[in-house]
Amino acid sequence: MSAISLARVAGGASRRIFVLLALLLAVLLAAPWIANDYLLTVLIVILYSAFTGQAWNIMMGFAGQLSLGHALYAGLGAYVSAVLFVDFGIGPWIGFLAAVPVAAAAGAIIGFLAFRFGVAGVYFAILTIAFAEFARIGFDHIAAVDASAGLFLPVRQVAHNDLWHLRGDPTMFYYVILAATVAAFILCRLLLESRIGYFWRAIREDEEAARAAGVATFRYKMVAVMISAGLTSFAGVFYAFFYNNLFPEQVFNIGRSIEMILGPVIGGIGTLFGPILGAFVLTGLAESLNAAMAAFGLDMPGAKQVFYGVCLLVVIVALPQGVWPPLARRLGLAKDKP
Amino acid sequence: MTSHKRPSRRRVLAGAAAAAATTTLAMPAIVRAQGKGPLKVGVLLPRSGFEAGIGQDCQRGVDIAAPILKSLGLPALSIINGDTESNVDTAREHAEKLIEDGAQLLVGAFDSGQTTAIAQVAEQKGIPLVINIASAPQITEQGYKFVVRNFPTVSMLLNDELSEQKELFALVGDEPKTAVFMHVNDLFGTGMSKGIHAMMPKYDLPYKILEEISYDPAARDLSVEVTKAKAANAEIMLVVGRLNDAMLITRELVKQRWTPKAILSMGPGWYENQYTKTLGKLSDGPMSLVPWYDPNKKLSKTLEAAFAKAYPDYNLNTNHVFTFEALLVAADAYKRAGSTDPKALAAALHATDITDNVTIGPGIKFDANGQNTGVRCGVVQNRGGKQVTVVPKEAANAKPEWPMKPYQSRA
Repeated sequence: MSAISLARVAGGASRRIFVLLALLLAVLLAAPWIANDYLLTVLIVILYSAFTGQAWNIMMGFAGQLSLGHALYAGLGAYVSAVLFVDFGIGPWIGFLAAVPVAAAAGAIIGFLAFRFGVAGVYFAILTIAFAEFARIGFDHIAAVDASAGLFLPVRQVAHNDLWHLRGDPTMFYYVILAATVAAFILCRLLLESRIGYFWRAIREDEEAARAAGVATFRYKMVAVMISAGLTSFAGVFYAFFYNNLFPEQVFNIGRSIEMILGPVIGGIGTLFGPILGAFVLTGLAESLNAAMAAFGLDMPGAKQVFYGVCLLVVIVALPQGVWPPLARRLGLAKDKP
Repeated sequence: MTSHKRPSRRRVLAGAAAAAATTTLAMPAIVRAQGKGPLKVGVLLPRSGFEAGIGQDCQRGVDIAAPILKSLGLPALSIINGDTESNVDTAREHAEKLIEDGAQLLVGAFDSGQTTAIAQVAEQKGIPLVINIASAPQITEQGYKFVVRNFPTVSMLLNDELSEQKELFALVGDEPKTAVFMHVNDLFGTGMSKGIHAMMPKYDLPYKILEEISYDPAARDLSVEVTKAKAANAEIMLVVGRLNDAMLITRELVKQRWTPKAILSMGPGWYENQYTKTLGKLSDGPMSLVPWYDPNKKLSKTLEAAFAKAYPDYNLNTNHVFTFEALLVAADAYKRAGSTDPKALAAALHATDITDNVTIGPGIKFDANGQNTGVRCGVVQNRGGKQVTVVPKEAANAKPEWPMKPYQSRA
């Protein structure tokens, strides 16, 4: 990264934030030496949520466009890379390069239809759901990807981690998703500090005013959708190679889209740390409830979800802007910039 | 931006977060037992989420297993329950957790996607996995060394369901010439429809499908669909669906005063407890072609008695028997291995040869891929609020009632 880019990433951030980030990164880098495989898997789930939350945040948090169908982009990424791997032996990294334009094109189609014809707000959200549902039903009938029977990636037993083919133990997957989350964080920071970031925020705050000020709102909203979709497709590639099976009913399910937005909603929409903090709070809470119930010898399936829902409700009512903004103020990290 | 200063709530939240982090990070270190004592079996089932009903049903098979296994002279199992929450991600996470908690063998997990995720963890960790229910063929085609499955694959299911129809027709001495086919239009229903059409020519079935009617699995009313089916004037009705639509179709059949010669279901719904309990005498007659237990086997009688005692309001079904058998396989392998060493357990699992079992078929024996190729489906008929087995002959405990008694003539 050039000095200019570094300066842009750092621009406006306090020294305290850097210390905090360095500490967090150091802890996360050291995690595989401290945590057992279960905790490492939990951390993978957390970072996966943080990554997808960050990608979704570009659209909603930065540009103010509510998407409730982001599972579409993750699903496309998953299927494109999986098909290339299963049918042509092409590795996931090249698969990712193929998945990005496919997901971005899907985003562009949705964006074009919505932004050109003035579909906005909740109607835009419904459109995103409709496309994800369309993909779910469509993939259920595409024989080339084994339709509803599910697409299974062959699982090879490898003596050593094979990063090129993403075949290996949880530690390798952990570092991959950690690197991706850090990269997404830096990318989002760069975007926010760029001209486009200011345009997005202008659109988010008042689209009419932004247009009146000369911002090409259609163009910049399209860019937001395409970047967000392309980034989300990586999550799909990761999912495909980590879980090794894809069912349209699960991959494109609206529940997946909701899971993606929960992190930023809880953490703080439009903030850089919100999706990361939200992912830690949500998954940490869920796993802690599991552990607490086990410790008390409670075996009540479903009770965890009820308690989890109540906790979420409490967080949302008590902290309507998300956990990060008040926490940042408390830690003395709050600035005008997110 | 509005500022919300609620220090007490923050403190509560911070305290909760700290407690949560402490609890999570303070997971006990696990010492894996090697030697005598019960085998620690981690059972992963979807006991919450959208598959909760089935997961909890499978759990009943776990809960009644201990005394029966003991009576067979098999070693004790120490069960650690895990909930996949009907979710692939959670299934993988909880497989890791159960292994960290000391599980020396895993059992689960009803759903193919969840089972695949668990199988990878099991294989990576070298901890054996006995699959109770999951039919995706790919699971046992990965060359896994620690995974075995005592449940038919999709193609085995379809082969059995079609071949046993011919056996049924021969048994009743009647070959229906026409059928109407009703199925849900979700992934299960459409998948089955494609499979049936593709495989029908191979089995030279006597009937022709006059009409195929698909419907939404969440349908609240199927009167139009049943009217259409009735208008086809077919002799028998083939169905692929679930509990909700099974009840809707039956009610419509009664309302529209049409009783086909036979209702043949290739899936769940029609044999389920809620179906027979809710519809009473109207539930009698339909036949289900499903993996089932052989009521004539000695162990089946023992299991039936134990189940009836523990759950008097439920009938023994597929979910219970296959989950029970997964534990039977585990205990048997542990006995022969004489050790909790994963490699010894895996070797013992692959050498399994149980003839005194519950399900239909010659017994439990795994091929090189870990698949029990001997497990068979049966044809079961609802009679008097329970299920009787009518096909195959060696597993039958009743003669089929053919044709179905008209709904109108039932008191």
